[in-house]
Order: sequence, then C-alpha cells, then structure tokens
Amino acid sequence: MSIYGPSASSSLVTPALAALSQDSNRQVDSVALDYLLIEAVRTLRHSSKIATARIRATEEEMIAEGLLPPPAPLSAVPLSIKADSVKDAVASQREARIAEEEEEALRVRLEGMGAIVGSNLAERYSKDKPRFQDTLDTVKFICKDLWTAMWDKQVDNLRTNHRGVYVLQDNAFKPLLRMSSPEGSADALRRAKIYLAFPVGVIRGALSRFGLNAVVTAEALTLPQCTFQVKLPKGQ
Amino acid sequence: MSRPPRLNAVAYISAAQSPILVRTFVPNKQDDLKYHYIAHTSLDVIEERVASTSKLGECYLGHLYSMEDLAVYGWIAPSKIKIVLALALTDAVIKDQDIVTLFKALHLAYHQALSNPFLRLNISPEVANDPAALVVAGDARWKSLTKRVDAIGKAVNEAP
Repeated sequence: MSIYGPSASSSLVTPALAALSQDSNRQVDSVALDYLLIEAVRTLRHSSKIATARIRATEEEMIAEGLLPPPAPLSAVPLSIKADSVKDAVASQREARIAEEEEEALRVRLEGMGAIVGSNLAERYSKDKPRFQDTLDTVKFICKDLWTAMWDKQVDNLRTNHRGVYVLQDNAFKPLLRMSSPEGSADALRRAKIYLAFPVGVIRGALSRFGLNAVVTAEALTLPQCTFQVKLPKGQ
Repeated sequence: MSRPPRLNAVAYISAAQSPILVRTFVPNKQDDLKYHYIAHTSLDVIEERVASTSKLGECYLGHLYSMEDLAVYGWIAPSKIKIVLALALTDAVIKDQDIVTLFKALHLAYHQALSNPFLRLNISPEVANDPAALVVAGDARWKSLTKRVDAIGKAVNEAP
C-alpha cells in the first residue's frame, strides 16, 4: 500500500472492470426448455422430411437424365411370393428406407443442437470451478451441475469400468417423464427414442469442450428410466 | 501517488496451443510481434506450472515471469484455454485478487463471444468445435471478442 493511503486510482480494479467481470444472472423458466424440446422434435421432423424429399427429387431428376447411376438394388425379395406382393414388398421396403433416412437426419440435427448447447453450458458452469483433475471429475461435473441446470436433478447412478466407459443412469428422466402412448408401452418406447437425441448431444458437446472426444449413445428400456453410455477413446 | 499498472496485452491460447487472439493496448503498433512472442514463451511456463500444481486445480496460475518492463500472468480455464496477461511494471503493489478479477472478466468475454449462436452458421461441423479455426473461419462474427477485450482494456487503462 502506498504511503499516501489506498486510493481508487492506484487499484487495478476500477468499477467498470468489476462490472465487466460479473456474469449477468439471467434465468429461464425450465418449463420453456421442456416445451421447446417437444416442439423442436415435431418441427424438425417436418422440416427434414421436406428437405430430404427435395434432395430425393433432385436425385431422381439426375438419374432420369443419366447424370447419376441408378441406386443399388434393394435386398432380394424371396422368389416364392407372387407378382403383386413383390411390388408391394419392394414399395414398402423403399418407404421404410426413406423413413429411416428421415429419422436419421432428424437425430443428427437434434444432436448437433445439443452439442452447441452442451458445450456453452459446460463452459458457463465450469467458469467458477477449479480445474478438473481427471476424466472422472469431468463426467461427475456433467452428472451433477449440468444435469441440475437442465433437468433440476442429478443423475441417479454413475458407473464406470475405469477403462474409458461411463454409464449414466437417470431413473426419472424429465423429458420422458410424462410420455405415454395409446398403443401401449412398446409403442411409447419406440416413439420416445428420438427425444433422447438432444441430451446425447448435450453430453457429447460438454465433453468436447473439455477436450474429451466421446461417443455417446442412449437407451431407454422402460420409460421414464434411461441410460447414457459414454465411450472415451484410449489415452483420455 | 503511484500510477495504476497499465494493461499492455492480452492473449488467448486454445487447448491445442494455437493462438486465438492477441490484443495489444500499446500505442506503438510495432510491438505487436513482441507480445506474440511473449504469449508463446508463456506456454512453456504454463505447462510447467500446470504439471506441478495439478493437485490443487487452481485456475489462476499467478505471476509467470518478468521481462524488461513487463510482468506476465497466466490463467487456465477448465476448458483448457489459456489466457496470458502482460502488465507494464510499475512501483505499485498489485494484489492477486485484482488480477483474478481481471482474468474472470476476460474469460467471461471469451465465453460470451463464443456463445454467439450465429458464429457457426455457415461453417462445417468439424471446424465448428475448434476455437482457433473459428477465429479464421468466422472472421467477421468473431469481432465481438475483440470488441469485448477492448472494452476491458479501456476499463483498466483509462481509470478515472
């Protein structure tokens, strides 16, 4: 301290600097996130259907004009079926393939959204924390802080084989909590699968922000319980 | 009355040791290269400090070294990006807590600029996760980081 006593101008931290170092504590109603995710799936499904239809139409045009080779033939249909059902079988196979493509495109898009959200949230919540000692610490951070921020609870069970595979289990996963289908639980399970794409992306994005490139998959065996499996490559 | 210490330069370095942004606040533009060099040499010191204090997990790495008339301080965030600060040496005693506040402001500026959803608008997904590539690729949109860092520089250097 100088002999003239402490004074504002000899301090590094001016009021303006102090203001710039405080993060504004803006908050969002968590219900808004739930609604957004539900609507996102519905809207993006519709949007990606239109996008893939447009791509397919251009492809078919180019095939018709001979610019592209025709698509590989579908898997062989058994010879014992009669002529009409052969046509039906081929048409339904083609439809199934199109539906699969659309679902995949939707999943990739939701995961991409999740990755960006996850990496930004991870940075925001880890700003005031000390550095992580190892990978387990990072995964624990995701299970506690990130999960609490998004879904108001922590992950219920974390298991690891200490060789780079972590399994996060949530017994009452918020997005799946109020899902049911009039056609029974098997149908509900099938339709709920796509809603796990965004959280998978969040986990992957958060890990990548900390330098860990993981492969994340999700599984739901009974609603609302689900597990996320995180596989980290060797050496991380 | 001793003058407050001046902030001469700030450097952000990504987890892959590549520079994200080096911003200087000195009137002489030819010294820019000097600060690039300072950021580079700080990397070695940072690595050493990180290896020796990894148990504590502190983000603030403290005073790294002094050079001519500069004191260099370092910070490493949990997301492995490093921030290097070059302060002009003065007679004033500089409190550690003040430097920590300065680093917090810089890290916040980085986080806010990175959270811009339009940053990755027309960029391929592989590039999207690497902040150093984003600076090159998302050129015009990354201006917000430069602007924020300038605001911090002003807040420190032009104290009333």
